[in-house]
Amino acid sequence: MLKNPSHPRKGQLRNKQCPFTKVGIEYIDYKDVNTLNRFTNDQGKILPSRVTGVSAKHQRQLSRAVKRARHLGLLSFVAENLR
Amino acid sequence: MKNNFYELTYIITPVLEADQFAEVVKKFSDFITANGASIEEMDEWGLKKMSYAMDKKNTGYYVNLYFNGPSDLVAKLERAMAIDDRIMRFLCLKYDAKMLRHRELQKKGEVPSIFKKEEDEVIIDDTDI
Repeated sequence: MLKNPSHPRKGQLRNKQCPFTKVGIEYIDYKDVNTLNRFTNDQGKILPSRVTGVSAKHQRQLSRAVKRARHLGLLSFVAENLR
Repeated sequence: MKNNFYELTYIITPVLEADQFAEVVKKFSDFITANGASIEEMDEWGLKKMSYAMDKKNTGYYVNLYFNGPSDLVAKLERAMAIDDRIMRFLCLKYDAKMLRHRELQKKGEVPSIFKKEEDEVIIDDTDI
């Protein structure tokens, strides 16, 4: 798959489906750190949905879950080694 | 008073003895039950390393619990937690229908995994945008 989102072949990769919609998840739990980690980059930032293919509805839930996890110290705001 | 289902997670400061953790946990459990709520499930995660230093401490004693209670309890509980110096952070959530359905699945251990089948299909990009 392409790493660069501005690559000209990006248009051909549009058929990506939201991973949460696909398996029918209704609520994204902030305690589920492993899942949330998959949607943040190595700096700890939340990845945009255009990169991950998450639907807008789930992206909102996801960002809320990540922020809750950060509040409780389950996820970091900024990666340790980059500070 | 309408009863709702809530989830509460809080972090106790790590600079305490083992029996003092139990004392804090008991204090808030009693507080919840004394205000007309019933604790459905309580899970002490114990001392856990945090992702970043909070109040210059790198670990915290995590407690996670679910309870059924009246809505005016939450405000009282949050105030009591904010006052208590031994509580570093807390998060109290009211469960709506979707979250309750999700919890039923969690109890049965049937939460569908996003990544099991399509490990290489979902690409999580590290590109910094």
